[in-house]
Amino acid sequence: MIVVTGATRGLGRAICDRLLLKNFPVFGLARNVDNIPFPCISCDVSSFDSVKEAAQYFKKNSIKVTGLINVAGIALMNLAIMTPPAATQSIINTNLLGTIYCCQLFAPLMLRNRQGSIINFSTIAVALGLKGESIYVASKAGVEGFTRSFAREVADFEVKVNCIAPGPIDTSLLNGITPAQIEKIVSQQIFPKQFTTESVADLVELLLDPRSGPLSGQVLYVGGV
Amino acid sequence: MSSSDTVKNEVFSQIARLLGDKSPPVSDEMLLIGSNSALDSMKLVELCLALEDRAADLGFEFDWTSEAAMSRSRSMFRTAGSLAAEFNSQMEASK
Repeated sequence: MIVVTGATRGLGRAICDRLLLKNFPVFGLARNVDNIPFPCISCDVSSFDSVKEAAQYFKKNSIKVTGLINVAGIALMNLAIMTPPAATQSIINTNLLGTIYCCQLFAPLMLRNRQGSIINFSTIAVALGLKGESIYVASKAGVEGFTRSFAREVADFEVKVNCIAPGPIDTSLLNGITPAQIEKIVSQQIFPKQFTTESVADLVELLLDPRSGPLSGQVLYVGGV
Repeated sequence: MSSSDTVKNEVFSQIARLLGDKSPPVSDEMLLIGSNSALDSMKLVELCLALEDRAADLGFEFDWTSEAAMSRSRSMFRTAGSLAAEFNSQMEASK
């Protein structure tokens, strides 16, 4: 079973749809799971107890987990000095702690089977150090660092941990960003064009494929930096 | 034999299994973390998974992410004896 967080909309939903199309067994985690056409349970990744409850569901029901895709995240475009503390905490709790909690609590399900692929999500904004995204970038830089180190902690169990860092993908996360701002970011990529959820889903498939076995602890920047 | 002794024997036997045949006998003082630990990090994780399974058999949840796992001086993993004591404590608390 491939577990996907943030599964009900945006990039997470697009990844689920692709995996289902390719006949992967997919199980979604999301805060709101109404009217989702695949197995899904409610989970707030920013809550350790909520993630623990979700992980226990898989253990109690003997559902073999072979993949974990941590897509759940929120974006914030604001100067750091103008950001309220509640917004900062929300970004860190969801993006960084949410990823850590899911890895902590779902990895043991994979360690038992000595098999698994964990895919975390960062952003190209980390490598580019984008202005106006410093708190968002801080949360995702944490995800990248965690990915590299955690990959070593689970490598003995044949579980790989990687990170995909997209540029501006056309999802609701980009609400409020102008086309000119997107163009400015995209122009700094090695391939200076806006990629789609399809490109990200391609990389997800690659990292779930056993042939990507030697890849672990890596950050893959969509578009290149 | 008391139930705590039985639990202790079970924890010690799991440690002994992971250490293999040529290891010294498991004692209360055997270090499980730090540079002189008898177990490497992989075996420590394997021990956690084994104890989690055993706890499920016994009808309780073994929580190795508790605050008690954090401190070097107070960690449940500092010695084989402290781990057995914490395992027993969590089992008793669940009753």
